[in-house]
Amino acid sequence: MILDYETLKIIWWLFVGLLLIGFVLTAGFDLGIGTLLPFLGKKDEERRVIINTIGATWEGNQVWLVLGAGAVFAAWPLIYAAAFSGFYAAMLLALFALVIRPGGFAYRSKLSDPRWRSLWDWALFVGGVVPALIFGVAFGNLLQGVPFHYDDTLRSFYTGSFFALFNPFALLAGIVSVAMLVMHGGIFLQIRTEGEINARAKRAVMIFSGLFVVALALAGLWVAFGIDGYRVISMPDPNSSFTPLEKTVDKVTGAWLVNYRLYPWTVLAPVAGFAGAIIAWFLSQRNQAGSAFIASSLSLTGVVLTTGFAMFPFMMPSSSHPGHSLTVWDGVSSHLTLSWMFWATVVFLPVIIAYTSWVFRVLRGKVTVEDIRKDEHSAY
Amino acid sequence: MWYFAWILGVLLACAFGIINVVWLEFEHLLEVDEETKADDQAQAAAKDATQN
Amino acid sequence: MFPTEEVVNLSRLQFGLTAMYHFLFVPLTLGLGLLLAIMESVYVMTGKEIYKDMTRFWGMLFGINFAMGVATGLPLEFQFGTNWAYYSHYVGDVFGVPLALEGLIAFFLEATLVGLFFFGWNRLTKVQHLTVTWLVALGANFSALFILVANGWMQHPVGAEFNYETMRMELKSFTEVFFNPVAQVKFVHTVSAGYVTGAMFVLGISAYYLLKGRDRAFAIRSFAVAAGFGLASALSVMVLGDESGYELGDVQKTKLAAIEAEWETHKAPAAFTVFGLPNQEKQTTEYAIKVPYVLGLIATRSVDKEVVGLKDLMARHEQRIRRGMIAYEALQKLRGGDESQPVQDTFELHKVDLGYALLLKRYTPNVVDATEAQIQQAVKDTIPHVATLYWSFRVMVGIGFLMLFIFVAAFYFTAVRSAWNQRWLLRLALYSIPLPWIAAEMGWIVAEYGRQPWTIAEVLPTFLSSSSLEASNVYVSLAAFVVFYTALLIAELYLVFKYARLGPSSLHTGRYHFEQRGRGTRSKEGAP
Ligand code: HDD
Ligand code: HEM
Ligand code: HEM
Repeated sequence: MILDYETLKIIWWLFVGLLLIGFVLTAGFDLGIGTLLPFLGKKDEERRVIINTIGATWEGNQVWLVLGAGAVFAAWPLIYAAAFSGFYAAMLLALFALVIRPGGFAYRSKLSDPRWRSLWDWALFVGGVVPALIFGVAFGNLLQGVPFHYDDTLRSFYTGSFFALFNPFALLAGIVSVAMLVMHGGIFLQIRTEGEINARAKRAVMIFSGLFVVALALAGLWVAFGIDGYRVISMPDPNSSFTPLEKTVDKVTGAWLVNYRLYPWTVLAPVAGFAGAIIAWFLSQRNQAGSAFIASSLSLTGVVLTTGFAMFPFMMPSSSHPGHSLTVWDGVSSHLTLSWMFWATVVFLPVIIAYTSWVFRVLRGKVTVEDIRKDEHSAY
Repeated sequence: MWYFAWILGVLLACAFGIINVVWLEFEHLLEVDEETKADDQAQAAAKDATQN
Repeated sequence: MFPTEEVVNLSRLQFGLTAMYHFLFVPLTLGLGLLLAIMESVYVMTGKEIYKDMTRFWGMLFGINFAMGVATGLPLEFQFGTNWAYYSHYVGDVFGVPLALEGLIAFFLEATLVGLFFFGWNRLTKVQHLTVTWLVALGANFSALFILVANGWMQHPVGAEFNYETMRMELKSFTEVFFNPVAQVKFVHTVSAGYVTGAMFVLGISAYYLLKGRDRAFAIRSFAVAAGFGLASALSVMVLGDESGYELGDVQKTKLAAIEAEWETHKAPAAFTVFGLPNQEKQTTEYAIKVPYVLGLIATRSVDKEVVGLKDLMARHEQRIRRGMIAYEALQKLRGGDESQPVQDTFELHKVDLGYALLLKRYTPNVVDATEAQIQQAVKDTIPHVATLYWSFRVMVGIGFLMLFIFVAAFYFTAVRSAWNQRWLLRLALYSIPLPWIAAEMGWIVAEYGRQPWTIAEVLPTFLSSSSLEASNVYVSLAAFVVFYTALLIAELYLVFKYARLGPSSLHTGRYHFEQRGRGTRSKEGAP
């Protein structure tokens, strides 16, 4: 074991960030495109074009989410337990939305009845917008702190209600998330379609990148002045193993900006978030969709990192018992588990990225109405 | 070591499937294909006739 | 405040239903995946177009099934956190590892490449496409491997130790977890069950075309592939079922005794109860018909070792509960700050039985002050409901033998070139399509229900494992699962039946039955 416990804790914090970024960059455009589908596709053939831009790759993209959950389970079991059970109803809502999505791809075009097809189109819409919204709302709640605490056997208790999750700040975070993913999806559609659909996608990008930038700015101001951040006052040695009950924490307005002051380079993250979106908007309007996609990827990465940097070392603060908050230091697995998972990730993640890129390369190119007509029976 | 047994076993099972059909292919199926082809042609002719 | 009994039971029901529902699709993915790889290999070897048609047609059915496998797997991945939060805290350090590896090594591989399987036919060379197909099949097998390593660890938790400072189980040796003997047999038995399922599916549907006299060239070939592959798999499922590692751990012993409804320890070699009505209250099996020697042979592979009966196991469990109470008392002192050497030593000595003491929490939160009556109640809890296991197991094994017979017959008559004329066999194969699913679900009931009252055998009782939720939450989610899953199942079955009936004509190659009688699928009946 070469790496010490403290280093591994930080590496695993970065890995989870990496997986989250993998998820928003890939599955993110699938969710955005699902949300746009009923509005950009007027005729059946157009909708099939849109679906087929992602039909062959959405499954692989979704695994970023599955792996994300698995990695949090293995590396951050306390967070997996407290967050998923605390957000119970919201989690299940997102799950049901994701459960009806596969049929939208695999079943929709297997029957020709228009009612059948329209049903699945709306399934894809719900399967896109609901998870996007709920993931945003979840992060909105993490930033404010969640009312939960532990008993002495480390059983967690959530004391908030379902509706408390949908407070104004969390809803704003939800809007940021939806607008961001729709922008990203719109740009991806621009790359892979032409003609009418391409023009409509461009219009969607214009609207949603604008909405995204405004909502993000509002959320930033709100975090700075409106909500309390958290601060660790004292805790045991970060290089040792301890439970969340052994530290003291207080709640202060503006605490989420402390890291930016301490480490000024972290400001690059929010800068990338805004600049990426603005550049993406600009390039998209000039029909340089490929470059716009890179810019919007940069923006999404910036947004994820902005949240992470603001909260570090907190991962899930407790609003009712701040001392029970889960942090990078105490929400974590044992040293041995972290190192096993570290080596597994170091070996397999590059392999995954390699074959995923290969698949995208093989399947590149525009999808057109003619393609759909030609493969009428085998296309989605 | 059942994992090891699995590696051998799954290859064996696949080989069973492949050999079974390939053996059939070269010994017997050509006749079946001839039969069905004749059948098909007759049907295709009938179909052409109805379409024209 | 603990989660109420109601929440625990609802969560069990929800997990059991969603997992069993997931397992309707999993075995077909496992089996059909390999069958596709076989068919495509023959295509590449012989260059005959008909094998490509076979790969594409069965591949379409595979795709319809696969979508549901993915849809229903997601809620399982999240459910440990949503409904089993204390479980996730208590064993996440160990149990999470195989789950994460499953995503990293298996899901990514199969889910990324499956798109190329469907849409890569014109973009890849023959050999590239064949490689993709094999990798998809391999990915499915890997995903089964890791999830069953996780599940095997729940049955027989090796390679981990309780840490009183963090109040959880922590990993001590990953290789021990991975090479867990229970996980190994479980993996081979379960994937073989999947292979049999795929083979039965192809065999039965091909038999249907042969009965109808359509697409004979296509159906005979599919039949032959399924017969060969299925025979080997059916043999393997039985050998490995028999092997399921019972010598290990008390919980597996209890399961074995319950499966056989063995209340008393009989002198070796034990007799096998062919039929009987287990009575849990009276702790006997009524109207038992026994065959001497057989159980001893199956369970211990010897004539001189005995099979321990349930009553004796319960006596052992009582002792372990008492020792566990000592461990629990020491744990309380340790957590209270008294970390002196004698306390540590006492804890170390008795901590293997800590889990047994936790069984008492159901009756008294304090554990150490349990009364004699409460201990007796906890002892009773340590054995599962015998009749359920007894019957589920018999159904599974019966089906195993029946399917072996079908595959032997299918293989034999294929070899003598007359399977397609044996109408009884074709009909039998067609009507037997549901059997492997029934057997597999019964198998899971034996494995999971037989593990009760534990989620982690001898470590963590089920009633402690769940999240602290309101019952109303779980009622709503359970109801929603039932509604959504029923609707999805109807849609799925409708498509499977429709395309299976239509057969290879649905590929629109112009070579098959419905395209040649002016009954083109384009008009009314068929695919879009
Ligand atoms: C990784 C862990 C794991 C795995 C691979 C499985 N299960 Fe399981 N199962 C559990 C973990 C678990 C559990 C979380 O531990 C449950 C919930 C409550 C309990 O007692 O065990 C459970 C309960 C449970 C029950 C209800 C038993 C009862 O209420 O007493 C059934 C019928 C199944 N499972 C069936 C399955 C099927 C069909 C699976 C295949 C997909 C499966 N299990 C895989
Ligand atoms: C109860 C524990 C289980 C969990 C948490 C679970 C989780 C999952 C998840 C999340 C998926 C979807 C993956 C995707 O998005 O691509 C999935 C699919 C699948 N699972 Fe399970 N599963 C469980 C049990 C099993 C078992 C016991 C097996 C095999 C024996 C199995 C084999 C598969 C296969 C073959 C698929 C096909 C679809 C795919 O991998 O994409 N699963 N499972
Ligand atoms: C002679 C035939 C068979 C025997 C002796 C047998 C034996 C067993 C045993 C003892 C278990 C319980 C393992 C445990 O508790 O951990 C089991 C589980 C299981 N069986 Fe079978 N079985 C047979 C046939 C079949 C067939 C035909 C299928 C399905 C096609 C099947 C599918 C399963 C499944 C899915 C499980 C649960 C996974 C596991 O625990 O391995 N079995 N079997």
